[in-house]
Amino acid sequence: MSESNDVVMTTSQTSESDPLMILPSNVVQEGDHVILVFGDGRQLFAQCLKKLRGKAPPVKINKRTYPTFNLVGLPYGTVVEVGSSKLHPLPEGEDVIPKYPDTNKKGDDSNEGNLEDAEATAADNTFPSIEQANDNRDLVDNNTSQQLQQRQVEKMRRTGMEGATIVDTLIENSASFQNKTEFSKAKYVARKQLKYQQRCRIVRCTPSSLCEAMFLKEPRKMLNLREDTLGQILSYSNVCAGSHVLVMDNCMGIVTGALAQRMGGYGKVFSIYPGQQPPYVDMIARFNLNFAENSSIKWVHVEDVFGTPQGETPTSAETEVDEEKADRELLEWPCPLQDHTRAHLEKMESEKEKRDFLARRCARFTRKLTRGTPGEAKEMLNARKCDSVVIATKHDPTQSLIELLPYLAPSSPFVVFCEYIEPLAECFRELQEQRLAINLRLSDTWMREYQVLPGRTHPSMNMSQSGGFVLTGIKLCPVTGINDLDEEIMKEIKEKMGGRRGKKSSNKKKGGKRGRNDAGGDGERGQKSRRVEGK
Amino acid sequence: MDFAQPLIESESVTTKSKIRHILVKPSENDDPPKLDDMLVEAANQAASNVFGNNNTDSSQYPERVIPQSEKIEENALVVIFESFDNLDFCYAKSGEIFNNRNGHFHHDDFIGKPYGSKIRSRNNQGYGFVFLLKPTPELWARSLKHRTQIVHELDASMIVFYLNLRPNMVVCESGTGSGALSHCIMRTIAPHGKLYTYEFNGMRAETARQEFAKNRVGHLVEVLHKDVCGKHGPGGFDRPQASVDAIVLDLPEPWAAVPHCGHILKPNARLASYSPCVEQAQRTIEELKKCGFHSIKTMEFRLKEHYVDEVEYDPPPREKRPRLPTHLGPTGKSNTGTKTATDAEAEKQEQEEEVTKGQPAATDQASSDNATAGSKRKKLLVTRPFAMMRGHTAFLTFCTAGNTPQPDPNQ
Repeated sequence: MSESNDVVMTTSQTSESDPLMILPSNVVQEGDHVILVFGDGRQLFAQCLKKLRGKAPPVKINKRTYPTFNLVGLPYGTVVEVGSSKLHPLPEGEDVIPKYPDTNKKGDDSNEGNLEDAEATAADNTFPSIEQANDNRDLVDNNTSQQLQQRQVEKMRRTGMEGATIVDTLIENSASFQNKTEFSKAKYVARKQLKYQQRCRIVRCTPSSLCEAMFLKEPRKMLNLREDTLGQILSYSNVCAGSHVLVMDNCMGIVTGALAQRMGGYGKVFSIYPGQQPPYVDMIARFNLNFAENSSIKWVHVEDVFGTPQGETPTSAETEVDEEKADRELLEWPCPLQDHTRAHLEKMESEKEKRDFLARRCARFTRKLTRGTPGEAKEMLNARKCDSVVIATKHDPTQSLIELLPYLAPSSPFVVFCEYIEPLAECFRELQEQRLAINLRLSDTWMREYQVLPGRTHPSMNMSQSGGFVLTGIKLCPVTGINDLDEEIMKEIKEKMGGRRGKKSSNKKKGGKRGRNDAGGDGERGQKSRRVEGK
Repeated sequence: MDFAQPLIESESVTTKSKIRHILVKPSENDDPPKLDDMLVEAANQAASNVFGNNNTDSSQYPERVIPQSEKIEENALVVIFESFDNLDFCYAKSGEIFNNRNGHFHHDDFIGKPYGSKIRSRNNQGYGFVFLLKPTPELWARSLKHRTQIVHELDASMIVFYLNLRPNMVVCESGTGSGALSHCIMRTIAPHGKLYTYEFNGMRAETARQEFAKNRVGHLVEVLHKDVCGKHGPGGFDRPQASVDAIVLDLPEPWAAVPHCGHILKPNARLASYSPCVEQAQRTIEELKKCGFHSIKTMEFRLKEHYVDEVEYDPPPREKRPRLPTHLGPTGKSNTGTKTATDAEAEKQEQEEEVTKGQPAATDQASSDNATAGSKRKKLLVTRPFAMMRGHTAFLTFCTAGNTPQPDPNQ
């Protein structure tokens, strides 16, 4: 680091040791949060820990807790099978829905041949054959085709029999299995496998996977923010490495975390929080952010943005002392021992005890040394205009946005998310009337997943109907963006010009007049009416 | 565009902390280690725990911020906003004039003005106006001349999101097309990432290359004139095995490129395929399964836009049903058969009377309504989806590469 405060770094100078160049590891690290995605679509959060040390149990599957120490070191994307007491990692190539029958164990693959054949011939054919040898004409649906009793199945499970064996036994004892169509055979097998041979895939926590899992689990807690809406927020806010983003996040920190991850440790995410200390620690931990990403999140207190409640006097900037900052500046790496600490240490008997004490002390000091204060965050926020504003809040969106807009640089985008449309309609109207922004768009998305299989392609039977609404726009320059005064000046200019240009414009007068009518007195209104015509 | 500018570094809390690795001399004899040495060792360990990746150097963590271009400078790319559906762009050059149907706009008026300004035309009395905006990939996609069908902003944002793109990644894209998606990807992989974009049409490749250079994003992208499917000559991306973090395919026959993708993608990396037809998606998925890809998902995203309007609904109308005059009841009518002139006149008079009678009654009604509903009826703020929407753009297929290395299909 050189003496001057600002050093322009050219993009070609990429230092090899730059920690921001290191992409997240492809192998599960100690302490990583992961998502376990099951064949039936269930998604569970797990933390991979070697030692528990009084932490919450790492993962709970079917009301049973499982240790996760053996997941550390596995590559992401590995499939594990849920055993009776352990998660068994499976070799590469296995899927969450096992192949049937398991070719690794059995020589007999006549059945698989059938299934594969059906798919293979279909794949080669542009018009895949969906004609089947069997159909449902003789199916008697009286729930007696399974010869095994429920008790016998339970016993097999209790004795710790392998899932694959149970599935095989079930199929052997099913009277109607052989008369099913190939497709419904596959479906039957998959259904039994999902129940008796549970498998899941270790998926990295990314904004998309995390938001999807949370949306399945507790959508209400995050204002029904569906993952595709989060994706749009990230794009439309135009964030990139090095941006300053001001975010108001009541979606459990998902928006803040996703922004920090998208910016990769460059730039600053100013996240507004109320209360005593930064919230959503648990959710942000799930992003597995590295040090740079974590420290790019600057927590700004609501008081420093919206002010104090009416009647209370705000603390003036001159009298306020940033105690936390002063405290930090007293520290010096590597924190030499003070006399009483030294004395305390020397009283300790074993070396291990001393080392443990020092490790704890140093960890505490390092954390303190690298942590910014809310006061500093406020200074940074006021030092430069932000490149975008993101609002996903349970508070009034209109008022929040109007109060945050002064922090936004002109011609920069803002995104307001709300689970209901009405508050955004009000916000839209307010921005139009005050002429604060253009390019306003109020939208939501329709997201649909498809089952794509030869001859059997169709949309999924269930889909989410709403993922929240998004209002986007671009802030106008408050001085030159609404220049009604400018009109006078422009007329003056034109009167002075006269001459050749005046002649030319008289030829085009017709066109000019039309132009005026089209653009209209008010940009937004003109825009809106044209959109109506256009659509 | 702002994302491509070199970053400005400044001191941060972390760099001020002066945390660094301190060498400890290993004690030569078997004496128990000194307390201060133990402290330094613990401190080194603590620093490495906090920073991760075995790094203990706090000077690696300055604040890095993109410079903010507030005013329009010479040669800067400016997006010209006429209306929501009508965007254009220009490179500001003094002396030049931008013309559209709203009038002539002088670049000299642009230069020095902040972005987000409203500019008046120099002809037609200055009535025409446009807004000057700072370019973003979304605005660029809407203002550029389409050489091909472009990937729209919703699909583009979904591709970037589901591919888990982040700064400093290496991404391959085929084909380049109009370069709309390329800008979106570059924004996310800046400052040190690299986009390799492949286009089989030589002219489009050249135009894209020039455009990237003009938009000053050239250092983030390499345009290659090549058919990755290998219809004529060898296909593939010419990248080393397992060296790419994500791939986007926007090709007529994406399945032909899939084996090459499997070869160059890093383990557990993501791939997206954009195909308008379901048959393309289907064939691609069959090929993806063969090449070790998993977690395959085919999605469709539609954007629903809404108007905002204010409406004022009147209460249901209350008025008198027209009645036949009493002295001309059914008996009177059946008797005469045809109306005489005097009858008709009488009827007319009757009706007029009805009208004059009715009016005060109606106003009475209204005034009583107002009295109950307050002095002014509240306007209702309503939204309505647009009458038309884009019904289909493409099926987006996302998947994850397996962890086993895939062979090079060209060998």
